[in-house]
Amino acid sequence: MTIPASGPAAPQPPTTAPGASDGAGPSCPNCGAEVGPGDSFCEACGTELSPTATPPAAPSDGSAGGLESPITVSRSLRAMAVEAQQTAPVGRPCLNCGGLVGADGYCETCGTKAPSERDHYTETPAQWVAAVCDRGIRHHRNEDATAVAAHSDPGSRAVLVVCDGVSTSLDSDVASLAAARAARDSLFLAQPAGLGTPTSRAGAIARSVEAAAAAANAAVVANTAADSDNAASCTFAAAVIEGDLVVFGNVGDSRVYWVPDLDQPEAAAELSLDDSVAQARIAAGVPREEAENGPQAHAIMKWLGRDSPDFVPRTGAVTLASSGWLLVCSDGLWNYVSEATALQRLIGQLDADRSAPLHLAQALVQWANQQGGKDNISVALARHEVGVHGARPVDHHDTRRS
Amino acid sequence: MAEFSAEVYQNEFLPDGGTDVNAIVTMSCTGAGEAGRSGGGEAGEIIIVDTSGSMGRTKLEAAKIAAAAAVDQILDGTWFAVVAGSHQAYLAFPAARAGAGMVKMDPSTRFAAQQAIARFQADGGTAMGTWLVLAARLFDSMPMLTQRHAILLTDGENHNETPEGLDRAIAHVTGKFQCDCRGVGVDWQVAEVRRIAQALLGTVDIIPQPEQMAQVFAELMQQAMGRGVADAQLRVWSPQGAQVMFVRQVSPTVEDLTNRRSEVNPLTGGYPTGSWGDESRDYHVGVRLGAKAIGQEQLAARVQLVVGDAVVAQGLVKAKWSNDDTLTTRINPEVAHYTGQTELAEAIQEGLAAKAVGDDATATTKLGRAVQLAAATGNEEATTRLRKVVDIQDVENGTVRLKRAVDRADEMALDTASTKTTRIKG
Repeated sequence: MTIPASGPAAPQPPTTAPGASDGAGPSCPNCGAEVGPGDSFCEACGTELSPTATPPAAPSDGSAGGLESPITVSRSLRAMAVEAQQTAPVGRPCLNCGGLVGADGYCETCGTKAPSERDHYTETPAQWVAAVCDRGIRHHRNEDATAVAAHSDPGSRAVLVVCDGVSTSLDSDVASLAAARAARDSLFLAQPAGLGTPTSRAGAIARSVEAAAAAANAAVVANTAADSDNAASCTFAAAVIEGDLVVFGNVGDSRVYWVPDLDQPEAAAELSLDDSVAQARIAAGVPREEAENGPQAHAIMKWLGRDSPDFVPRTGAVTLASSGWLLVCSDGLWNYVSEATALQRLIGQLDADRSAPLHLAQALVQWANQQGGKDNISVALARHEVGVHGARPVDHHDTRRS
Repeated sequence: MAEFSAEVYQNEFLPDGGTDVNAIVTMSCTGAGEAGRSGGGEAGEIIIVDTSGSMGRTKLEAAKIAAAAAVDQILDGTWFAVVAGSHQAYLAFPAARAGAGMVKMDPSTRFAAQQAIARFQADGGTAMGTWLVLAARLFDSMPMLTQRHAILLTDGENHNETPEGLDRAIAHVTGKFQCDCRGVGVDWQVAEVRRIAQALLGTVDIIPQPEQMAQVFAELMQQAMGRGVADAQLRVWSPQGAQVMFVRQVSPTVEDLTNRRSEVNPLTGGYPTGSWGDESRDYHVGVRLGAKAIGQEQLAARVQLVVGDAVVAQGLVKAKWSNDDTLTTRINPEVAHYTGQTELAEAIQEGLAAKAVGDDATATTKLGRAVQLAAATGNEEATTRLRKVVDIQDVENGTVRLKRAVDRADEMALDTASTKTTRIKG
C-alpha cells in the first residue's frame, strides 16, 4: 500500500472522467478484438476494459449537450454492468483450474472469479520484454499499472513504466493506468541521442524520463475530477534500456532493480531510491528492515497528481556488464523481497527460462501472492544478454547517477 | 411475453476456514399471460371429484356446484375432462372409450360437462391412487399438451387402497401433471393428501364447510388459468468439489426440493417448479465449499430458472473469505427469516403428529417452539392458528399448554397451513 505523507483527505462521492491518452488504436487485451477508446467492455468477449477516452454522455435533459455533460461513471456502476451482461460468448480459460470462464465472469468448473482486465493483465510487446500487473489478494481493486514498449530485436530498446495508485485517493486506478501509458508513449517516441557522447546520450534520455514524468503527471491531473477534494495520485518508476545502457527515474516508492544472473560477476543493485519515510530513515542510519517495517514506512514524500508539490523524478544511468534482468516493480513485490541480493536469489530459485520474461514476471507475481498478496503487484522485466545489442549501436560510458 | 428476474439475498463473507454458504434467491415472473394462450403450447385441466358413499347428499350436492363452478372458469380452447372417484375412477366427461380422453372447452362442451356433473351419485369407497392413474392416462392421451393441471377433491381417508398402493400410484403419475388437492370436512388425512400435493407440485388445504367449496374451486381454477408459463425448472450449478446441502422453496410455501434433483450435467441439478403465473417464489440454497484463502472470491452457486431450454433468470451466490469480523458475522435477514419459517413448519407438523399419537410432552415442546418461531418471524397467521390448538402462556419462551377441546377443523387447518410462509417485512 502506498499512502501520501501528507494528511489523507476525507472520502467523497466518486466521480471519474476517464480520458487516458493512449497512442495506438486500442484492442482488447483478452481476445485482441478492436475496441473503441471509450468502451468499458469488449464487444467480442465481454472483458472489462479501462476506457481510454471519455465516452459520450447521455444528455440529461433531452438536449444535445452531451459533450458538456459531466461524466459520472462510478466503479460500482461498472461492476454492476459486469454482472448484468449475460450475452457475451466468453471462452477464456480460468486462471485457477483452466476451465471456461462463463459470461458472468466466474469459472464454469470451479467457480473462481476471473479477474477483470484491470485486475490482472499482462503485456509482451516483444519476446524479451514483459509485464504483469495484478490486484493481489487483499485489495479490492488494482490501482497499480504497468506500461511497457519495446523494439522486437532483443536487447535493442525498451521502455518499462510502473505507476502505483495512492489508495487513499479517489480513482487512482484510472489515474495510474493513464499515467503509465502516457509515460510509456512519451518515452518510446522520444529517442534522444544527445551530442553523440555516451554521457550526453544518458543525460538526454534522463531528460526524456523527466518529460515522461511530466506527461504522466498531466494524465493523472486530466483524470482527476475538477471538484475532487481527494485528488488522484500515484507513484512513477521508469527505465529505458538501450543495449547495455539503462536510464531510470522514479517518484515515490516504486523501484528499478538491476538483477544479474547468479553466475554473473556483477552484484545485484537497487537502482532507484524511494521518496519515502522508510528511505529517509535508512539514510539517517536506521537498518533497512526496521525502517521498511516501521511506522509510516510506506508513506511517500513525492507523488504524481494535482496536489503534488514536486514530481521531478530522481534519475540515474548505469551501464550493464552482465547478463540479467532489468526489473521495475511496485511495493506489492518488493515488500516481500526488498534487498537486491535477496531478489537475485529469488529469481535464481524460480529458475526462469531466460528467454521468457513473461514466465518470470508471472512467477514473481504468483510468488508475491503466495506471500500474502497484501498489495497490488506490478512486475515489468527486460532481458539483457551481454554482447547482444540489437539493431541500435551503443557506446560505453559510466555515469552512476546524474 | 413473460419476463423473469432473480434477486439474491445473502451474506457472501465467510470467515477464515468457513465453508457453508446460504442464500435466498427470489425468482419473479411478470407478464405470464393465460394458460394455453401465451404461445407455449396448449393447456389441459382435469377436475377430480370424490363421489364415494361417505360424501352423502349434502357434500355431494355442494361438490356438484363446486365442480360446475370450476368448469365455468376454464377458458374456451382449454382441453378438459371430469373424473368421478370412489374405490375406482370413472371418466364422467367426455364420454370417451378410446383415443383422446379430453375435449376442448367451448359453450357446448361446457354445458354437456355440467350435465354430466349433475348426474354424480354418492356410492362406493375411496381409492385416490386410481383417480390419479386415470387422470394420468387422460393426459397421456393428449401428448400435445404442455401444461397439465388437475384439482382433486376428497372427503375421507383412502380406505380402499394400501398406503403402498397410493405411493405406487403417486410415483407413477409424478411429473405427468400438477395437482392442487382439497379436503372437505374433517374426516380426511392431511398427511395422506399432502403426499399427493407435494409430489404433484400442488397445494393442499381444508374446506371446513361444504358450502365453501364452490368458491374455493372457482378460485383454484382461476389461478390455474392465470399460469401462462407452462413449465419451468430451477437449476442449481455448484463448483466442482462443492456439495449442494439443500434446495428448498421457502415462499409462498416450504417445499424441500433437495431430493427431487435430476442431473443436468455433473455440476448442475434441475428441480421441477411446475407452471408459473405472475408471482414470486423464494428459494433457499445451501452450498458447502472448500475453504479458500482470505481475500479470495468465488462463485458458490448459479441459481437459474429455465423455461424450455432457455435460461430466463439467473442469480449468483458468492463466497468471499474475509478476516473482517464485522462482515463475516453479519446475519442476512432473509436467510434468518426463512430458516425460522422452515423450522416453524417442521415444529407444527411434528407437534401435531405427536399430539395425534398421544405424546403430549413432545407435542407441547414442539408447538411451544412453533409459537416462539411464529412470533419471532412475524407470521401472525400461524400464531392465530396455533392459538386455536394451544393456550399460550409465554410467547418469548414458547411455553404453551395443549387445549383440552380442540375443533378438529382448526387442528387440520393448522396442519395444512403449516408450510405457508410470510415474506420478510421490509
